[in-house]
Amino acid sequence: MTGPSKALAWCIGLAVAAAAITLPLYANGYYLALGISILYFTVLATAWAMFSGPTRYVSLATAAFFGIGAYTAAVTGETLSWPLQLLTAAGVGAVVAAITGLSTLRLSGIYFIIFSFGLAELIRQLVIWYEVNIHKSVGRYLFSDITQEMLYWQLCALTALVFLAGFVLTRSRFGLALRAIGADETAARHSGIDATAVKLGVFIVSAVFMSVTGAIMAPRWTYIDPAIAFNPMISFQVVIMALLGGAGALIGPVLGVIPLVLLFEVLTAALPNHFSIVLGLIFIGIVLALPKGVVGLVDQVWRRERSKVTAVKPLSGGGTLLVAETVGKSFGGLRAVDKVSLDVRAGEILGVIGPNGSGKTTLLNMLSGALVPSDGTIRFDGAVINGMAAHRIARLGLARTFQLVRVMPDLTVAENVATAALFRGSRSSAAQESIHELLVMVGLGDMADSPAGDLTYIDQKRLELARALALHPRLVLLDEWLAGLNPTELETGIALIASLRARGITIVMVEHVMDAIRALCDRCVVMSAGVVIARGTPDEVLADPTVITAYLGEPDA
Amino acid sequence: MLLFDILLPGLVLGGMYALIALGLTLQYGVARIMNLSYGESLVAAAFGTLSLYSGLKLSPLLALVLAIPAAALLNWLLYRLLLQRLIRRSKDRGAQEVDSILVTFGVLFVIQGVMLVAFGGQYYSYSYLSIPVTVLGSTLAVNRLVALAFAALIGTAVYLALTRTRLGTAVRAVAVDPNAAQLVGIDVGQLAGLAFAFGGGLVAAGGVLVSMFLTFNASMGVVFTMKALVVVIMGGVGNVMGALVAGLLLGVVETAVARLVDPGLTLAATFALFLAVLLIRPTGLFGKAAS
Amino acid sequence: MTSTNRRQLLRIAGAAAIAAGFGATAAQAETDKIRIGYAISKTGPYAGGAGITTLPNYQLWVKDVNAAGGIKLGDKKLPVEIVEYDDRSSSEEAVKAIERLANQDKVDFILSPWGTGLNLAVGPTLNKLGYPHLAVTSVTDKAPELAKRWANATFWLGTSAQISNGLAELLGKLKSEGKIGGTVAMVSVADQFGIELAAAGREAFKKAGLTVAYDKTYPMGSQDLQPLLKDAIAANADAFIAFSYPPDTIGLTEQAQLLKYNPKVFYVGVGTAFPLFKGKFAANSDGVMGIGGWNADSPPLKDYLARHKAATGQEPDRWASSITYASLQVLQQAIEKVGKVDRAAVAKEIREGSFDTIIGKVKLKDGLLQEVWSVGQWQNGEFYALAPASLPGARAAVVPKPEWK
Repeated sequence: MTGPSKALAWCIGLAVAAAAITLPLYANGYYLALGISILYFTVLATAWAMFSGPTRYVSLATAAFFGIGAYTAAVTGETLSWPLQLLTAAGVGAVVAAITGLSTLRLSGIYFIIFSFGLAELIRQLVIWYEVNIHKSVGRYLFSDITQEMLYWQLCALTALVFLAGFVLTRSRFGLALRAIGADETAARHSGIDATAVKLGVFIVSAVFMSVTGAIMAPRWTYIDPAIAFNPMISFQVVIMALLGGAGALIGPVLGVIPLVLLFEVLTAALPNHFSIVLGLIFIGIVLALPKGVVGLVDQVWRRERSKVTAVKPLSGGGTLLVAETVGKSFGGLRAVDKVSLDVRAGEILGVIGPNGSGKTTLLNMLSGALVPSDGTIRFDGAVINGMAAHRIARLGLARTFQLVRVMPDLTVAENVATAALFRGSRSSAAQESIHELLVMVGLGDMADSPAGDLTYIDQKRLELARALALHPRLVLLDEWLAGLNPTELETGIALIASLRARGITIVMVEHVMDAIRALCDRCVVMSAGVVIARGTPDEVLADPTVITAYLGEPDA
Repeated sequence: MLLFDILLPGLVLGGMYALIALGLTLQYGVARIMNLSYGESLVAAAFGTLSLYSGLKLSPLLALVLAIPAAALLNWLLYRLLLQRLIRRSKDRGAQEVDSILVTFGVLFVIQGVMLVAFGGQYYSYSYLSIPVTVLGSTLAVNRLVALAFAALIGTAVYLALTRTRLGTAVRAVAVDPNAAQLVGIDVGQLAGLAFAFGGGLVAAGGVLVSMFLTFNASMGVVFTMKALVVVIMGGVGNVMGALVAGLLLGVVETAVARLVDPGLTLAATFALFLAVLLIRPTGLFGKAAS
Repeated sequence: MTSTNRRQLLRIAGAAAIAAGFGATAAQAETDKIRIGYAISKTGPYAGGAGITTLPNYQLWVKDVNAAGGIKLGDKKLPVEIVEYDDRSSSEEAVKAIERLANQDKVDFILSPWGTGLNLAVGPTLNKLGYPHLAVTSVTDKAPELAKRWANATFWLGTSAQISNGLAELLGKLKSEGKIGGTVAMVSVADQFGIELAAAGREAFKKAGLTVAYDKTYPMGSQDLQPLLKDAIAANADAFIAFSYPPDTIGLTEQAQLLKYNPKVFYVGVGTAFPLFKGKFAANSDGVMGIGGWNADSPPLKDYLARHKAATGQEPDRWASSITYASLQVLQQAIEKVGKVDRAAVAKEIREGSFDTIIGKVKLKDGLLQEVWSVGQWQNGEFYALAPASLPGARAAVVPKPEWK
């Protein structure tokens, strides 16, 4: 966006905000009520999208947190002052979000959707049971002298807060971390992101906003019972509005809220008896016509360079960097890797070769923390790392690429790399290097702002490598990184790997391309059927009769 | 015998849960469509049965014969005309799920709106096969027993069809990994459409059968959608046997809690059980562990 | 059907407008009709209740009024024009719709939504805007307090205590007559309505010398109440009392028949008075007691029943329907007495005046209708009122209830 148009956007934004804040001064009760509807859905949908947008965890628990807030206000209505009620609601919402988040956020996809809905229902049932058996009355009466104007301004303030929080979040490293998790959680973990902690934190923040909204709205309705407070329609409406607007951008949800609230208003008046049918048809039409939500229409405008996160030059060490001792892994009865021992010296390139199904990738998965070994020990730089979470291993300086490329297609090339730089173990500023330089190094210098999904296959591989390097690892595990490249690309690739070693990075590569093994590897380990059958220099092992038998016996190789 | 008196009514209630969930296991589990309008389709079938019964004096069991193919056809059309378009356009599972939630939310409103125009918002109920039978000292209603029997029968038949036939194997392949299925030459769109349509037929069957003993109105669909979802997820997505067992289990648990603990906690117990299953086995009781 | 009605109304209103238009001044044009608005649950969980008790009576009343030429203001009759919205069973939508009716449509009067929750939600707004609030379908023990707080509001179905007291009084009398023993099995839905009734019931039963042998609540939306019923049967009580909602009322009655459970008194909650109940259970409805009831032999109610059936294609329920209609008659008469669209005066008149309606003479006390039937019983296909016995037209209870056929 250019300077003048940016200024114009700011002016329009400020004018809209000013008009919204002063609404009670000139609008009648109906427009005020309409404004309240828009604001309260805006807060809910924006808070929802804060978590669910980037992570793509579609949550149906909005009603649960909204209801908790409303109920807290109703219960404490006679004992606490109004600000204290809001604080209590926020606190209760946060605690419930923390407890449920801890137990549920490891679920993903549809399981999370359903779980979040079940959660809302469970909380509602428990509240009812408590009210019936302990409090002996289900409905709560809340008589308050808060006028419609005051309520409106409270919601205005809350809206400002939620946008501020969202703005800060998207610009913080947590925001990018969340998007990385949404794009590919496995890749994110291997980039050093503690996915669970990041998700939990943002989930709590989002839940607090929902709870406070409930607490603010409650007095308006005089009477709060579980059916009103925990109305599942709220969850659905919020999801629909946010998705319609576009949950990926901060401004997205509000672009869904406004047209939908207005559409509801027009339809309910124009066609009170056919409201549902027309609404449904319009809805289907919108989904078909606007696949990325309203915000998708202006998506390109909003795309811009996000961060200038920098990377540190890889460190070089001496002696043995990685040791695996009698490491094994069983899947059910299948022994995929059996008592494999190996050591990797700092600065060398170690090749792991062997026919398909010999256990190479399983070994790599154990080294990088994607799989927990059934037995044996793995030490990285002296520390035992088996059983350690992938993101923690990554932060120690052990990075990897994947056999099947895992880039986050919706993020730009630069953002993909930036995800890895978010949570570095050390923040040494001795030798700083911008992401751009990293991209230049792998040959993606001029692609920084393209969506990663648009890259060619070799470029995606380059990107993956750059991302691994952004962790400034001491050791990089390359899983068939050269597979599928044409001869020219292969040459480039080999040169690139050689250049990494020149920078002091230790490399373990699983590879089928024997030319590359010969050209790059100092030593080789040959695996077959889960065990190591030969070790030595490339030339030695490739001449070994056992190795030849192993390969010939497996025509697939 | 209190044990039988809990077990049998529990199984009968559970049979109903399994029944209303069978269609969704196919629609969501195989065709990968998170159909939010599921419950509305079920209620629509109930209304259809009521009309046939009160208007033409047609027995609900005969209505079954009409409703299943009619609903299957409608669902097939829905899939081909609307849903397939979304599937083709979405890049990944996530996008497809979001799109199908959104668009079936629209469908939900349309079906509900049509029912409201035709029948208004009132409650409806009629009596059919409301005859007591005593089994092992426990009195049960024939209409509920029919629902249980139907659920068990169809559930087992679909299970066998999925595991023992070539078509079934192909359908399961689609459920597990649509891309891989495509690679081995399966026409995924065609099969998923078929599964969706058949699932729709089963929803209608559920609607017809529950209309014999439940009081319903045009706004009650969401209750059924949610119950079905809980059962499907508990049983393991796409696993018909799992849905059957999960449904029966829920029924028994609810009945046991009502008799032994506190009737006020039945629904809380359902959700607690559901959440516990999800936490311990995220892929459901019978789901395969994710590798 | 509703839309045709509305179109007809508009046509009538339009014709009236044209008629008035000849040589009419602008000021007259503004008062050539009375605009009445309401927001009602056409969708969502409340649609079931609104669709039987409230909406049909609004439609019937408008039809009746306009057929008679309209509401009389001074020396001319003005037809009624309707503005209607769907509140989608949401408190917030209901509040917003009221603001819209008052500020945008500038309607002359507003009719109330259905249900306790929505009536309480719109209460403060209607009070602030100064519209008379006929909160007919709200049953709450807070009603007297609310009526004090909101001078524009009136409550018509009695309090929970009134309903439970009526029931306890009836059971106490049956006990003293030796027709039943002294034990009661009670189940209630875990919603404000069920809880309040059960709480009031516990006290009232004790006062009437009855023992509660079984007392449990169940969650709203339970799909099988057989377990509950079995334990209630095991309690071996003389009277079975369920403070239930329509689907449960139907379910409990059906299960009781299956289990051949024949207590001397079988009382189920909301829904017993619905025509649906009679339609479904036919002869088996005989002897079943429930909330509400009416004096079915009264000619105005007989006439009302016929008109209701003709206008809406369905029979009214025998509890809140006739009271809803009566409340609208009260509104009409109050407007006519005041003689102009003066909402404060109309609200005052509703509270203080006395009116002739289909349910007899209505005179509110402190904003509450006092003469409310609390117990009815199906007898020969009609749901007769039994209690309170002090009200004119109360019938004697048939006890024990005939066995299920």
